Amino acid sequence: MDSSRVAVIFYSLGTLDLLGAFESKTTAAERESWRKWLWEQQTHGIYGTGFKPGPYMTPEGQSSESSEYDAPHLIMTYTALLSLAILRDDFSQLDRAGILAFLRACQNDDGSFSALPRGGESDLRTAYCAFVISSLLDDWSGMNVDSAITYIRSCISYEGGFGQAPFGEALGGTTYCALAALCLTPSTPSSPRESRLTPAERTRTIRWLSQNQTPSGGFRGRTNKAADACYCFWCGAALNILGAGDLVDRNALATFMSQCQFKFGGIAKAPSERADPYHTYLSLAALALLPPSDADSSWDLPKLDPLWNASEATASWARAHIPAH
Amino acid sequence: MSAIFQDDDDDSVKLYSEDPAWADVVPIPQYQGVDALAPINYTEEYQDATNYFRGIVKTGEMSPRVLQLTEHIIRMNPAHYSAWQYRYRTLLALQSPLEDELRLMDRFAIDYLKTYQVWHHRRLLLVALHSVDAAAAELRFIVRALQDDAKNYHTWSYRQWLLAHFNDEARLWAGERAWTEELLEQDVRNNSAWHHRFFVVWGSGVRKGDEDREEVRKRELGFAKDKIALAPNNPSAWNYLRGVLDHTKTPYSTLSTFVQLYTASSAPAADVFDLDNPPPSAGAELPSVNALEFLADIHEQEGQTEQAVQVCVYVVLRYTFTKHFVAQIWKSLANEHDTMRKKYWEFRIREAMQSR
Ligand SMILES: [Zn+2]
Repeated sequence: MDSSRVAVIFYSLGTLDLLGAFESKTTAAERESWRKWLWEQQTHGIYGTGFKPGPYMTPEGQSSESSEYDAPHLIMTYTALLSLAILRDDFSQLDRAGILAFLRACQNDDGSFSALPRGGESDLRTAYCAFVISSLLDDWSGMNVDSAITYIRSCISYEGGFGQAPFGEALGGTTYCALAALCLTPSTPSSPRESRLTPAERTRTIRWLSQNQTPSGGFRGRTNKAADACYCFWCGAALNILGAGDLVDRNALATFMSQCQFKFGGIAKAPSERADPYHTYLSLAALALLPPSDADSSWDLPKLDPLWNASEATASWARAHIPAH
Repeated sequence: MSAIFQDDDDDSVKLYSEDPAWADVVPIPQYQGVDALAPINYTEEYQDATNYFRGIVKTGEMSPRVLQLTEHIIRMNPAHYSAWQYRYRTLLALQSPLEDELRLMDRFAIDYLKTYQVWHHRRLLLVALHSVDAAAAELRFIVRALQDDAKNYHTWSYRQWLLAHFNDEARLWAGERAWTEELLEQDVRNNSAWHHRFFVVWGSGVRKGDEDREEVRKRELGFAKDKIALAPNNPSAWNYLRGVLDHTKTPYSTLSTFVQLYTASSAPAADVFDLDNPPPSAGAELPSVNALEFLADIHEQEGQTEQAVQVCVYVVLRYTFTKHFVAQIWKSLANEHDTMRKKYWEFRIREAMQSR
C-alpha cells in the first residue's frame, strides 16, 4: 500500500464520485486537505515532474525536490491527476512542461513506457497511463506516438486480446489499456486512427471479449478462468470502446455484481470474497457504463468516460482545467 | 505486505536504532507534511528499518549491511520498489555473486508470488548475468513455481521474457513444446499452457526441427483436434486451432469434416475412425457451441451468408430454448451451453445480414 497509495486514493475518491456522495459524505475542509496532500506528491527532479505514490521515501524536512529513489511514478501521476479532477482542483500548481519531460524520460526505445524514469515495470498498463496523461494535457509532445503504437500492437495475441507485454497471454485489463490508448491518440500522418486495428483484428477482439462473459454473468480476464468483478469493467469497457457494448448481457452482469457485494460494504472480486477499493470502484464503473435494463433508480449512476475511466462530470472538469491555456 | 499493519508481539524484534553496528548511520524519519490521506499505521519494526534506509540512501552507502537492510524491508513490504532498486544497484556495486541472489529470490518468489517486483528483480539479475546456465536454472525454477499456481501471470510472463531474451540459445528452447504437452495432459483447460505453446511454435521464430512449416502446421492442427476430441467445449483448444489457421492463412473450410462431427447433436457411429478427424469422446456434450461458431465462420469465409445466418439462428434458438425450458430443470446444463453469449450470436446475424 505504501508504494501505491495514490492509486488506492484514486479508487476511493472515484467510488465517492460515482455514488454522487462527495457533497454529503465529505466536508470542504477535508477536500481541501486532500488536494494539498496530493500536490505534495508532485515532485521535480532531473527527470522532469510527476507524482510519487506517497511520502514513503521522502526524508523529513524535504518535499518538492525528488531524489533518485523518491522519483515520480507514471501510474501514480495518472491517478493523481484524475483524483485532483474529482476534487475539482484548479490545477494552477501543475507543472505541465515538467510532466511532458517526465513522459519523455519514461519512454523506451521500443516505444514502451517504464513506470519510473530509470526502470521499473514497462507494459501496457504504463503505456495506457502515458496516453491518458498526454490526452489530459491535450499535448502529445511528451511521446513518440508512432513507436508507442507499434509497441501496443506488438502485444496482440492470437486469441484476440492483448497480453500485458509482448508475447503475453491475452488479458482483460491490458486489452482495455491497449484499446483505450489506441483510441485516445489523434491520427498522425503515418498512423491514421482507423488503421490501428484491422477489421479482422477488431472482429477477433470482439469475439474474445464477449467469450469472456461467463455463465455467472461476470467477465473473466483470461480464457477458462473464473469471473472477477474487475474484469466486468475491463472487458465491458473494452467492448464499449469497440462500439460493441450492446453485446454484454447487462442484466446478468448486474446480477453477478450484486453477488459480489460484501456484507460490510464494498464489492469484492468474486462472491464471498472480501471487498477492496479497487474492485468496488471498477464494479461501479462497469455498472455506470453498462447499466442493467431492468434496474430501478437505486442503480442510477452518472455517465462514465470509458477512455479515461472517470465520470463524465470529472472528465469535463479535467478537460477545462488540465490543458495549458 | 500485511506485516506492516500487524502489531508484532514478538519481543525479539531487532531495531537498528538499538544495534551498535548501525550507530554510525543517521536515521531519517519520513516526511509528514499535511494530514495524510489514508494514513498508514506502521509497525515500529518497519518504521525503524525504513528510517535507516532513508539515512543510507542519503549518504549513498552501498555495503553488505545494505543488503541485509533492504532484504529486511522487502520481507515486510515486498512492493517497496525503492528498496528493490537500491538493493540491485548495491549488488552490482559490490560485485556480489548474482547466482546467490537468485537462490534467495527462489525463496522470496514462493512467498510473494503475486508481487511484481520479485519478478522484475530476477529479470534485472538475468540481464546482468547473461548466463545461459543461469537461465536454464530459472526455467527449472519456474516449473516448480507453476506447480503451486499453474496460471500465475507474472510467472508465465517471466518465462516468456526469459526465452525471448535468450532467443538464440537452442538448448533453453529444446524442451518447451514437450513441456506444454505435459501441462495440457494434466489440465487441458490451462489456457496459459496453450498460449505458451503458441508462443513457442509460432510466436518467436523457427525452432530446430521445425523447419518444415507445412509439417508443423499439420502437427499443431492434429494436436488441437485431439484435445478438442477430449473436451469439445474447451474454448482454449478452439482458440488455439483458430490461431494456427489464422497465422498460417489456412481457410477454415479445410476443417469442415472435422467440425461437422462436433456440430451434430450426437456422436457419430463408433466404427468410423479417421486419424485426421478424431470424433468427440464418449459422453461429450454435443453440439459444441464452439464448433457451431466455427461452422458459421466457415460459411462466412466462403461467402455463404445464408448458411452462416442459419447456423447463428440455430444457436440463438438453442439459447432461448435452454434458457426458458432447460434452465429451470437442470441448471448445470444451462451453464454448459453458455447462454450468456446470446447477444453475440444476434450480433453475428446482424453483421451477416448487412454484408449480404
Ligand atoms: Zn480482479
